Amino acid sequence: MKNTAIAVDNAFFSYPDGHEVLQGISCSIKPGEKVALIGPNGAGKSTFMSLLNGVSLPTSGAIHIAGMPVIKENLIRIRRKVGIVFQDPDDQLFCPTAFDDVAFGPLNLGLPKDEIELRVKEALTTVGLEGFEERSSFHLSFGERKRLALASVLSYQPDILVFDEPSTNMDPLNRRRLIEWLQQSDKTILLCTHDLDIALEVCSRCLVLSEGSFKEDGSAKDILHDRKLLEHYNLELPLALMTHELLTEKLRTGQMDEEHRQIIASFLHAHRHSHGAEGHEHVHIHFHDHEHEHLHEEVADQHFHDPKGAHHDHSHESEFIQHSHDESTTHTHDHHSHEASHKHGSKK
Amino acid sequence: MALDIDRYAHIESQLQTWDPRYKIFSLFLFIIIVALLKTLPLAVVALFLALTLLKLAQLPLYFVSQGLKWVVLFLLPFLLILPLSHPGDAAFRIFGLGFAWEGFRLAIIIIIKAISIVITSYAIFGTARFDVSMIALRHLKCPTVFVQMLLFTYRYLFVFMDEMKRMDTAMKARGFIKKADRATLTILGNFVGTLLVRSFERTERIYKAMLSKGYQGELHSLVVFQSNTADLQKMGVTLIITALLIGLDLGGPFSTAEQNWF
Amino acid sequence: MHVADGILSGPVLAVGFAGTVAAAAYTLRKVDLEDIPKISVITSAFFVASFIHIPIGVTSLHLILNGLVGIILGVRAFPAILLGIVLQAILFGHGGVSVIGVNALMLGGGALCAYGVWQLRHRITLFTLDQNKNSIAFAGLAGATGIITSGFVLALALFTTGEAFWAMAGVAFAVHIPLMLIEGAVAATCVAFLLRIKPEILAGYQAMPPKKDKPTPDGETRS
Repeated sequence: MKNTAIAVDNAFFSYPDGHEVLQGISCSIKPGEKVALIGPNGAGKSTFMSLLNGVSLPTSGAIHIAGMPVIKENLIRIRRKVGIVFQDPDDQLFCPTAFDDVAFGPLNLGLPKDEIELRVKEALTTVGLEGFEERSSFHLSFGERKRLALASVLSYQPDILVFDEPSTNMDPLNRRRLIEWLQQSDKTILLCTHDLDIALEVCSRCLVLSEGSFKEDGSAKDILHDRKLLEHYNLELPLALMTHELLTEKLRTGQMDEEHRQIIASFLHAHRHSHGAEGHEHVHIHFHDHEHEHLHEEVADQHFHDPKGAHHDHSHESEFIQHSHDESTTHTHDHHSHEASHKHGSKK
Repeated sequence: MALDIDRYAHIESQLQTWDPRYKIFSLFLFIIIVALLKTLPLAVVALFLALTLLKLAQLPLYFVSQGLKWVVLFLLPFLLILPLSHPGDAAFRIFGLGFAWEGFRLAIIIIIKAISIVITSYAIFGTARFDVSMIALRHLKCPTVFVQMLLFTYRYLFVFMDEMKRMDTAMKARGFIKKADRATLTILGNFVGTLLVRSFERTERIYKAMLSKGYQGELHSLVVFQSNTADLQKMGVTLIITALLIGLDLGGPFSTAEQNWF
Repeated sequence: MHVADGILSGPVLAVGFAGTVAAAAYTLRKVDLEDIPKISVITSAFFVASFIHIPIGVTSLHLILNGLVGIILGVRAFPAILLGIVLQAILFGHGGVSVIGVNALMLGGGALCAYGVWQLRHRITLFTLDQNKNSIAFAGLAGATGIITSGFVLALALFTTGEAFWAMAGVAFAVHIPLMLIEGAVAATCVAFLLRIKPEILAGYQAMPPKKDKPTPDGETRS
């Protein structure tokens, strides 16, 4: 039990009106693990999240956070450990200024003034809102409020971060920043989301919650690639994979003529790669609305990859056609080889 | 409808730099005394003092005009009703009712005092950040629970203002025009109901978010007030002026002399 | 309708402040942790809703909704109304710092009376209406009670201020009669809506016994 961040043992939860939302769920999440929690609407995801920091207590069963049972006596300590980032930032930003919102958690911990000011500064810097201390949250844009809500949780330094639909209503740039931040974070992360693309990019493990219990628990790659399984739970393949699948199908059946292939290949990549030592791997897509040959490396890749440690497989040809692909053959990411293999792929 | 009362709080002026605790206390007393004035010359002096405060705070007149507009609209009927209904000697008759100058004088005093008070209140709360004013209120023995509720209420005004605008647009998009009829009242009832349901669901989420951040009912703030002699001097001047106002009003020459002015 | 600054006499203002402090102290004692965000956020919604204007001829009326506040918040309506009055004085300056006490007593008193009328629906059934329609009827009565009580308190405040204001008091009270009808209608339709959508937000709501029919779990799981 000591070595788990979150341990849920046969937890039930029902509302006072008798409606049973969670029917005996169990799972165990290791420190530093990044887990996606997916499932249809009404599956009990929100209830599950509120059990994790004791905002609701299970009707029966036990929950341990870092070895500590979630019971009334421990609530204060539990809530320091588990930070929940809510879906609607307006629910979480209830203070008049950004500073007050970010300082709210540390103030309740009774930290000294200097420490609080330092933490607020750090948290705001982390989310890219330096100098926003005096701003009122109601004068910020939605993306900024979403980041501020994250900062208001980071400031009390929880080890476990739980996100409820972190990417909803976010513009692509803010979403991309969030994904990058999640990827490099060393905290235990639980992402509850319908955005399976973000789950695919960030998480290594995936839990499927449906009708009040965990129906699937496995590697994110396996579950999120399984179209039949996802559709069974009213979900669909991540967009990245759908596009990939569609292209594969079109190329295989020869429905796509040369012109189409040229156009698509000129602004779209789907390739597998691994991120440095983490061995993180997924399929992703780059969209370019500009000349690809010169800009790809500078613009897109500096955002999306670790430029030093990334190993990429650039056989686009096989990538387009074959669904499963041998990951072990990797090439260093080199501008020329990338361009060359890309052209190769489009000529096929 | 502009709700951000504190948009000029960043200006560096005599009022913005005044310790909010002393400012609220002194000017609150001033307001109460102005409300009690009974003579016209002193009401005019109060208006002049209020305008001086506005000038000191460098607040533009259009900023306070929003509040003034409603007061004047509300009080205009007084100019007619009070003289026409005043018991006593009528100077002349309109609509078969006696018009008494004494009633007219009362109405004028009321309007001037109301305008002075509105302006002074902008000088109090328009010159400090809203949250700072609220923390100052707590230092002035306003209960913590109430101060917290003021802060939360203020915060969510902006959220519901947006929500109402969206709902309003959606209704207009479907061709709804407000009229004084039954259909309108039904639609407004549903409109208010929707707003309430949303607010209710929101409070549950907010409460969860507050608990998640370790909330236990206390109001913590890093706002620290430091008063200096200048703060005390400003308070002293305000209190002396206020005392003079009420003293002159009650015992001064105006109260008897004025009766014969009209 | 609230009263503006500069009209009422000193003793009336003093009674207003004293009464408000007493009523607030009494009702705030019943406030627990969860009520703090609840009262605040619902007050925000009401504050915003009171900006709604209804055009009548050349003029327009804005909603007051103090009866509805009582129907939703019960006894906690008093601190809610006080919050609204204080915020109005702070944000718009009118109706106003010196009359916070009188205005809170006027509208808050109305809200408390409305709550009292609203609670009577459990005891009295009008014209053999069914439970739902009876509640709606009492909501209308409560909405009207909120306004007419306020009108009465306002008239009383003007009346006691001096003989010069007696006629004004009559006019003020008369203005509240059409208002009462409008607010009663809005309260009734609003409560009819809430009874359908979310009855638990109404004060004094008595929950139905727990549902026996749990949604049948679909045992079909994929391996």
